[in-house]
Amino acid sequence: MNRKRVSLAAAAAGTLAGVTGLAVLAVPAGAGPSPALPSISADQLVRSVLEVKSVPAMTGTVTGTNNLGLPSIPGLGKASALLANGSTTARVWADGNGRGRLSLPDGNSEETVVYDGKTVWDWESSAKTVKKFTAGTAGQEREEAVDPAATARKLVDLLDKSSVVRVDGTGTVAGRPVYQLVLTPKPTERTMLREVRVAVDSETRVPLRLSVTGNGSAQPALRIGFSNLTVGAQDPALFQFTPPAGAKVTTGEQRVPEQDSRAETAPADIEPTVVGNGWDTVFIARLPVGPMTNADPNAGRSGQDSDALLKQLGKPVSGAWGTGYAISTSVGTALITSDGRVAAGAVPLQVLTGALENSR
Amino acid sequence: MTLVAENSPPTRAVRAPLGRLLAAEMRWALRRPRTLIAIALLALVPVLIGVGALVAGNSERGGPDGLFAALAGNGFLLPVLALTLLLTMLLPLLGAMSAADALAGESAHGTLRGLLIAPVGRGRLLAVKAFGVATVVLTGVVAVAVVGLVTGLFIGGTDGLVTLSGSTVSVGSALARVGLAVSWVAFQVFAVAAVALAVSACTDHPLVVMAATLAGALVFGILTVIPQLDWLQPYLLTTGWTSITDVVRDPIPLDGLVNSTLKATCYLVIGLSLAYARLSTKDG
Repeated sequence: MNRKRVSLAAAAAGTLAGVTGLAVLAVPAGAGPSPALPSISADQLVRSVLEVKSVPAMTGTVTGTNNLGLPSIPGLGKASALLANGSTTARVWADGNGRGRLSLPDGNSEETVVYDGKTVWDWESSAKTVKKFTAGTAGQEREEAVDPAATARKLVDLLDKSSVVRVDGTGTVAGRPVYQLVLTPKPTERTMLREVRVAVDSETRVPLRLSVTGNGSAQPALRIGFSNLTVGAQDPALFQFTPPAGAKVTTGEQRVPEQDSRAETAPADIEPTVVGNGWDTVFIARLPVGPMTNADPNAGRSGQDSDALLKQLGKPVSGAWGTGYAISTSVGTALITSDGRVAAGAVPLQVLTGALENSR
Repeated sequence: MTLVAENSPPTRAVRAPLGRLLAAEMRWALRRPRTLIAIALLALVPVLIGVGALVAGNSERGGPDGLFAALAGNGFLLPVLALTLLLTMLLPLLGAMSAADALAGESAHGTLRGLLIAPVGRGRLLAVKAFGVATVVLTGVVAVAVVGLVTGLFIGGTDGLVTLSGSTVSVGSALARVGLAVSWVAFQVFAVAAVALAVSACTDHPLVVMAATLAGALVFGILTVIPQLDWLQPYLLTTGWTSITDVVRDPIPLDGLVNSTLKATCYLVIGLSLAYARLSTKDG
């Protein structure tokens, strides 16, 4: 009888241990107390970030979380996964001398971008293709779009004039102590954003996380940052790439449609007009043919299809500037008019329509 | 002579050597025709995939679909792809089948009673049974991997072992990656089988074990796709199963594989504990 009780107790303890283990695994490690770091003024912090010339040797995982509030659109493929709410992960490596490697795992396939100092190799496993660029062109822009360091630096530069910049204590990102740099729009700015928060590594002064929060929301609408980071020398073989046997290699092509849509840059043949400055900047561009032709990476879709897509995404609006569809997210608005113009910015709809009227 | 034996103090019961017990259980588990047939059928899957990819690869219309597309001319991806596909349903089914036979099956035949009244610790009985289940699971996984490897190398040849990251790896490294996949998959399936073993200890009907495991796998699958239950996902064993693809990336991202292995360990501990609890309270 006693033995039976002992074995039951052992079994109960085992079950409890298993359940506790699961809970520990499932719940992410708590942030813990904020690390004590020497105090620093916002100006000094921004300057030290800008002074970082190159990313130190490191490896890490960058996770981007998107809470824009756009619905997921079937049939858009990869672009949809990036636009709709959800998160995207990339693994990055840097050797400290400007060479880098980026890999974007996607289910059962992977895209790997390697910059070996002279050449950028872009490997796509699902199509078995390698795109080769000579140094300093599309590939670098591409890495900038994903690397939080460059993204944050650009933002700080751009927003300094119209924002209140302050240091909001310290924190921990990817296990490293960071300073929290917070940018808030000045009251005169007509923007939908409440704050942009940049976590700056206290040691290397590399921005480790960027979060953008819209008005009236506690959760960041956009967040890109390291979920995992190790600073230290990397295996040099990581920064070499030899196209595997049987892969199709294309050379010299600097712009690939799919990259454009992902990097959210306007295609080269459209020069956007910039209206306003600071947080309420509005970009106005003219689409080459009809509405939404460039926003759709799947070539060969008919115009009717993209109209249907617009109806699904946006709501019809009209005014002195014409008619169109407004697509609103929690941090910004885009307006696509029936005469093929696109206006977008981190602003409410009224600012967009005002900008459209003025730019006529 | 008989006098001596009668007069000597009662000796401790002679324990059967553990090695012999384990060997007997292994033989018992592996010589069941249904186990052998199941493993043979599972091993046919990589052959089917390989032939299918060979036929489909010649026509261009099969659009790019991850591992399938990468398979053409890439031998060592085949075992990994086969394991990925089988892990979702059929390998857990194999584990459940052997777990069902281990306790519920014996119970149904009335042979478990013999084991329970024998002077054998219940923990020891469970350990031997769990070992038998593990043997079947490992044999199944190894069979799939070996047949897949042979088929893949036969179709794709030994040169051009390309990872998903686009690097070419040596045969040794490729074999090590397949080995990693095999041990990882076998452990995950064994975790499922441990939970099945707990069900198996509670019932006299092997069919109940199979049904429960199958239903569990389906429910986990359904829970994964409900967005409102996102918070539940880190607790589910099946959500970690996508990380098997990581073994064919370069360098291998270990965090997903390690995390899912730890998760499987938790399920394993829970399953075996519950099975032990039921077994130790069972009357002969």
